[in-house]
Amino acid sequence: MANLSRTSSLKRTQQRMAVLFILPALAVYALFVLYPLAMSLWGSFFLWKGLRMGEFAGLSNFARLFVFPSDARLYGALWHNASWFFGIMLFQNGIGLLFAWLLFLRDRGAAFFQSVFFFPAVLSPVIVGALWRLLLAPGGVVEWALNGLGLHQGSLTVLGNSHTALWVLIAVDAWNWMGLPVLIYTAGLRQISGQIFEAARLDGAGNARMLFSVALPLLMPALGTLTTLSFINTFNQFDIVYVMQGVQGNPSYATDTLVTYFYRLAFGAEGAVGITDIGLALALGTMLFLILSIGTLLMLRFFDRRTVQL
Amino acid sequence: MSALAIPNRPALSRQLARLPGWIVLVVWTAAVLLPLYILVVSCFKTTAEIYDNRLGLPARFAFDNFVNAWTRADLGHNFLNSLIVTGGAVTLTIVVSAMAAYPLSRYRLGWNAIMLGLFLSGIMLPIRLASVELFTLMRNLGLLDSLTGLILVYSAIRIPFAVFIFANFMRVLPSELDEAARMDGAGEVRILFQIILPMVKPAVSIVAIFTAIAVWNDFFFPLIFIFDDRYKTVPLAISVFVGQFRTDWGLVFASLAISMAPILIMYCLLARQIREGVGAQGGMK
Repeated sequence: MANLSRTSSLKRTQQRMAVLFILPALAVYALFVLYPLAMSLWGSFFLWKGLRMGEFAGLSNFARLFVFPSDARLYGALWHNASWFFGIMLFQNGIGLLFAWLLFLRDRGAAFFQSVFFFPAVLSPVIVGALWRLLLAPGGVVEWALNGLGLHQGSLTVLGNSHTALWVLIAVDAWNWMGLPVLIYTAGLRQISGQIFEAARLDGAGNARMLFSVALPLLMPALGTLTTLSFINTFNQFDIVYVMQGVQGNPSYATDTLVTYFYRLAFGAEGAVGITDIGLALALGTMLFLILSIGTLLMLRFFDRRTVQL
Repeated sequence: MSALAIPNRPALSRQLARLPGWIVLVVWTAAVLLPLYILVVSCFKTTAEIYDNRLGLPARFAFDNFVNAWTRADLGHNFLNSLIVTGGAVTLTIVVSAMAAYPLSRYRLGWNAIMLGLFLSGIMLPIRLASVELFTLMRNLGLLDSLTGLILVYSAIRIPFAVFIFANFMRVLPSELDEAARMDGAGEVRILFQIILPMVKPAVSIVAIFTAIAVWNDFFFPLIFIFDDRYKTVPLAISVFVGQFRTDWGLVFASLAISMAPILIMYCLLARQIREGVGAQGGMK
């Protein structure tokens, strides 16, 4: 009896202490993350005058996104984000798998190469963007090197050319984050039992067969994590574009992304400088939120189903 | 590992078969290190020297560019702001997240799972999309042009990840640990900070490292919340420099070097923890 009452008094103390302990984190998180996000989603259904919310507008903000003059910006940005995602999947997560496999096959040097490959990932995208902007500038070291090797003649204008600019930014982003797939794949490969590779080897599988037929199916969780992370990162892409090409996504919006477009609408750099269109910005934000949540859920499910259980 | 060694082949031909792989790895190493090498040597060169002597070492190691970046471009001030914001956000995130994770992982409350789920849902929320409402909120709270405002926003963004890590580490500690302390009459605050937290030091360092990197590097929130030069952080200042001092390449290279120095030092000291932390996150799902 005495024991029981002590337990229940402990339970009551714990409930009270739990509330006190959780409150600071919950308050900061709710006030600065949950509340503004909920208000942004809610506000996308209203008319806006400057930063003041007006009357209920239904889906009219969303309808305006898809007509002139917003439609060209929206489809352009969507296309650039989608290209960015596929570019990163191919160049970063694809080549990263090759690097991880090569490191896995070697007993020596893995830690060194991993550390070097991951180093750019701890740098700010602003620094990475600024560095590559200097290196790739007309008169910069890349132009000098290409001219010296006879691979290119005259001034290098890849960042000013609307056909190449986006792909240069994607390459810079891949350079920035290459270490991430290398680390995640190597961690995944090390979890696979050595007996599996031994059995495949005895069956006469070569290195390439082992990678694609044995290791890759077992790397589905790692591939799922990387695909989801790359999806979220590319659809949030802002810093590299801002620093290297300006907030307009120069040249002539060729590197514009959904978040740079959102930023211009929300903070007044689209059309006349200083004029904002909050209704349109919030509608774009809500759409992007849906793209990200639905995309992430679908990807997690897709990779969950393809995870091989041993 | 040993299972992968190619059997029944002489050592020389085995090494030869591995040569293409080594070349691939060395090429990417050069692709990473060469730009950083150019960055470092250019810091010591005048603009004219950067054009004349692209890859070589500077004629003399002059620190003029660093001095100019630190004083004339006032990067020293931005550096201090970034240190304050990073230090503040790391401290606040660790304290409040550890406090929240302790009851969520070790008490039986009946609502642990729901509350934990609420925190975890924040790990992937695209908070940039809420920046309009966040801007209005910060203005109403008087937190625009304020380092405190940045500290609060960064902590709010990093709390979900920190609670997740702390809860995972605290859950597996033996329950005798806090029960014994409770028998001895220790209060819950003491149990958390003097018994539990010292047991989850790896979690503290994971949270500290990844929060510090994310906060030090962030550019988006200073861009929308900070207008006064006195409160600008390093990434925001750099984004201005790149346009402003376009002709003074040595100065821009030096300011880039200064702004990555703290992260570089931290990375050299903690490379192993960072590698393992990232690898573990990939496997966690």
